[in-house]
Amino acid sequence: MHVLMMSMYAAMAAVVLSAVDPKSETTRQRVIHGLKIFGSFLGIGLVLSWVLFPIPW
Amino acid sequence: MVFDEPRAYPGSIRTLAIAIAWLIPGAGHLVLGKRGRALLFFVTIVGAFALGLALNGHLYWPTVADPASSYFHYDLITVLWFFAQIGAGLCYVGSLVLGLGTSPIAQAAAAPTFEYGNTFMFLAGLLNYLVIHDAFDIAVGRKR
Repeated sequence: MHVLMMSMYAAMAAVVLSAVDPKSETTRQRVIHGLKIFGSFLGIGLVLSWVLFPIPW
Repeated sequence: MVFDEPRAYPGSIRTLAIAIAWLIPGAGHLVLGKRGRALLFFVTIVGAFALGLALNGHLYWPTVADPASSYFHYDLITVLWFFAQIGAGLCYVGSLVLGLGTSPIAQAAAAPTFEYGNTFMFLAGLLNYLVIHDAFDIAVGRKR
């Protein structure tokens, strides 16, 4: 459930952030930028959860 | 190419685009002729807000803090949450009018998806602030 919600959150944020990116000129650049944002959200989320899991507080 | 360069829109269209961009996510881009992006923003932001409501998210309003435990008149976190949600414009106002997401906080918080719902509603409002800023950039000719 949590990963699904995280993925949906990442997808929605990536769609908007890539569409408003002033450096992306073409649709292809926007799609690539969006995929990078989506991957970053998921990747950083998973790494953080793995790092924080053993911490008791 | 000359016709592909960014151009500034007249002041009245600029004002209309910014105002309507807040009210209806994506509508500012529609006014500026960016139909594809307008549809994308509308679907994403309204979808995020609706998903938040469906997941038992709560509509926040600044509440007065307990004077004994706070330096501020208002509970600061509710002010920030309200700021995040009100960014979604009519999604917030319409939900408030229709009574969606307005159940007492203790009752709403009992739902297991309460925090997920709130997060999606915050996301919708905050993304719409970015979209309004993007519409402004297009309207003043800073980007295409």
